[in-house]
Amino acid sequence: MELTFRKNELTGEVMYSGVHKSGLGIYIIPKTGYSGTYAIFGTRYGSVDSDFVVPGETEVTHVPDGIAHYLEHKMFDQPDGSNVFDRFSKYGGNANAFTSFNMTAYLFSATSNFEENLATLLDYVQSPYYTEETVQKEQGIIGQEIRMYDDNPGWKLFFNFINCLYQNHPVKKEIAGTVESISKITADYLYKCYNTFYNLSNMSLVIAGNIDVDRAVKVIDDGIKNNEPFTEPIKKLYPDEPKELASAYAERSMAVSAPMFMLGWKDNDVNKTGAELLKKNIEITILLRMLFGKSSAIYKKLYDAGLINSTFSTDYTMQPDYGFTSLDGESRNPEKVFEVIMDEIEEIRKSGLCEEDFSRTKKVMWGSYIRSHNDIEEYAGLYMQLLFMGIDYFDFYEVYKTVTFEDIKARFNEHFRRDYAALSVVKPV
Amino acid sequence: MQSVKINNNLSVNVISMTKLKTTSVGVYIHRPLCESDASYNALLPPVLKSGNKLCPDRESVAKYLENLYGASMGATTLKRGEDHIIYFDAETISDCYAPEGEKLVSDLLRIVLSSIFEPVEINGTFDEKIVEQEKVNAIDKLDAFVNDKRSYASSRCQQETARGTNFAILRYGTREGLSSITAKSLYDYYKSIITSSVIDIYICGDADAAAAAEVVREYTDKLSFTDAEIPKTEIISRLQGDVHKVTEEMDVAQGKLALGFLTNIKPSDSDYDALIVFNSVFGAGAHSKLFNNVREKLSLCYYASSQVERAKGIITVNAGIEFENFKKAYDEILVQLEEIRKGNISDDEFNASVSALVNTFNSYYDDQRAMATFSLVEKVNGTNRTVEECIERVKRVTVDEVAAAANKLQLDTVYFLKGKENA
Repeated sequence: MELTFRKNELTGEVMYSGVHKSGLGIYIIPKTGYSGTYAIFGTRYGSVDSDFVVPGETEVTHVPDGIAHYLEHKMFDQPDGSNVFDRFSKYGGNANAFTSFNMTAYLFSATSNFEENLATLLDYVQSPYYTEETVQKEQGIIGQEIRMYDDNPGWKLFFNFINCLYQNHPVKKEIAGTVESISKITADYLYKCYNTFYNLSNMSLVIAGNIDVDRAVKVIDDGIKNNEPFTEPIKKLYPDEPKELASAYAERSMAVSAPMFMLGWKDNDVNKTGAELLKKNIEITILLRMLFGKSSAIYKKLYDAGLINSTFSTDYTMQPDYGFTSLDGESRNPEKVFEVIMDEIEEIRKSGLCEEDFSRTKKVMWGSYIRSHNDIEEYAGLYMQLLFMGIDYFDFYEVYKTVTFEDIKARFNEHFRRDYAALSVVKPV
Repeated sequence: MQSVKINNNLSVNVISMTKLKTTSVGVYIHRPLCESDASYNALLPPVLKSGNKLCPDRESVAKYLENLYGASMGATTLKRGEDHIIYFDAETISDCYAPEGEKLVSDLLRIVLSSIFEPVEINGTFDEKIVEQEKVNAIDKLDAFVNDKRSYASSRCQQETARGTNFAILRYGTREGLSSITAKSLYDYYKSIITSSVIDIYICGDADAAAAAEVVREYTDKLSFTDAEIPKTEIISRLQGDVHKVTEEMDVAQGKLALGFLTNIKPSDSDYDALIVFNSVFGAGAHSKLFNNVREKLSLCYYASSQVERAKGIITVNAGIEFENFKKAYDEILVQLEEIRKGNISDDEFNASVSALVNTFNSYYDDQRAMATFSLVEKVNGTNRTVEECIERVKRVTVDEVAAAANKLQLDTVYFLKGKENA
């Protein structure tokens, strides 16, 4: 396997990358002096992918909601009845997995026996084993996981918020599905999804930390099983999503101490990937800080009025086909927070953004880019997430340096529009 | 680690970790955890961080940090045993990554020190408006304790197990305590503690100890300090009586079961390492008996785990379950404890449990905050071990020693958070 070497002079980071003949994308990031190593093996497959066309077929396959997450749980069962955790434990590896809207990933961190742990990771993710009996057994565990989220006010707040933003897009559905939807999952469905989305040409492996590259490559070469790469992409089908919101407001009551709110804007400037998508991300992240960061006039106004407290935070969620900004926190009066923010945004639309704020907050993004290399788990995870959107995070600077104040002004006018803003509230019982 | 003693109370410790691209600054002000002061300790950090001689208000503090490429500065309290720590946590990218050669680390250290030693005051009192605002926020934070049911149940169980001791006091203070504080009383309290507490400064990353100590002296030279000590914590010891049962009802979908055990082992005891390995075997991870039996074998829950409060000698077990599975889960947790007491631990289980601990210890070498916290906790517990020593010690533990530690464990409290009867 031929790997390409790159070095980033600004960060001092290096990377080896290439595509294995099986179609698997390989990214190795050696970090001098680290005691730990982290590997993440992921597929471009998440909770939004319930309708798809398998390459070579013409019919649309429809599967029950929550299946990507269910499949993730069932990957830990082995044909001999053992549990994968036991194998990692033997080598001191700390293994885990997660499913998000757009990806599923299996990972471990270790400070010893890296090669054995990596071989284990490669082996089990390529060894599906599902029977009706083992599939059945998981219903109890995942049922309790769903229940745990039912009691999590932050989680409910978030899902009610995206249910305001989206009329049809499956991002509005719970990642784990519902107790009802998972009851329809069968071993056959799991195999169908596995054989489609776990084709290695739909997957990547990112490794970071204390690594001997040659030895890692040998473990990878030995550990990859026969795989016929797809020659055409997996067609994922999503319903059309209009620009308009599903609703502007959602509310529910839960056992919380004070009202919690999440508000934000639906991003309608979508269907971008790669550098274009990264640039949008930088613009919106800078804007969120200019408008609502601790140094902003809006933050001061809300904080001084006792409408927000230190729990207030902002975020931008993006994928090629959807995106949204979100502001969340606790407030005695969430409706008032929403109103003040909408009014202030209109004021700024008239008076204009401040260029000095732009220059200062742009520096913050550089700091956070540098900082993101620290933690190998975070860095490898982020690298993979962005990779799946066609973004090369290694060369972040190439895009970062192109962002101008003019771009920011244009993005402000495009994104922060009252018609596309929603508010979700969780109130105390 | 390079340490510079500024005076009897104050030390600067620099841990070099240049493989990371940041440098972190942690300041730990040690106070005894007690009813009368807990609320003052809880309210001080947000007030101190609201303005200082360098940056007079929150907005200018925020701008100052943004100009340091988005450096962070947080202030809160920690609870380590009965040591109630006022904690400033700050971080910047290291100087070698500053695009224009700025001295980011010393600029960061200055705003932290200015917040601690030169907060904004007017005629011997804090700004009333800020204190009142932060009182409201502090009470909100105290009330929000209940929001995350998983950590709430775990903390409540710990609190009930520590009943009658100062460890049962929450680090957020109390509603009454917070309400009664005024701008003047808080300032008086601040003046009374700032020069009479042990203060540890940890800088981890790319920094020079002598240079950092020079900066610290600029802020402390004019102050006169009274010698202080780090608050000590005794482990709980109680005659085995009836198990203390606590049930709470709330509008929840899932029940939270928590068991509180007394370990009867303190950090300086010779069987302390066996206790740490015991906890790993019992419930600290996917290799543990609780995970493999309560979750995997019986499918009763998504999580079942155990944690040790080292200084106070408490182990808590937590599981999220269906209400009606209370007895099944409770019984199985005790069955697994009994197995360990009998020494029924397979080689694989035992080795995995030790490896998991070694892995955790080794990972501190890649994490600045974990390294500083480790070093601090060793100091607080009076054990002063290095990471390497801890690894060697857990590796020497035997199955028999783990069984012996398990036999010292005493079930004290059973806590259950359940749904409302007719909800």
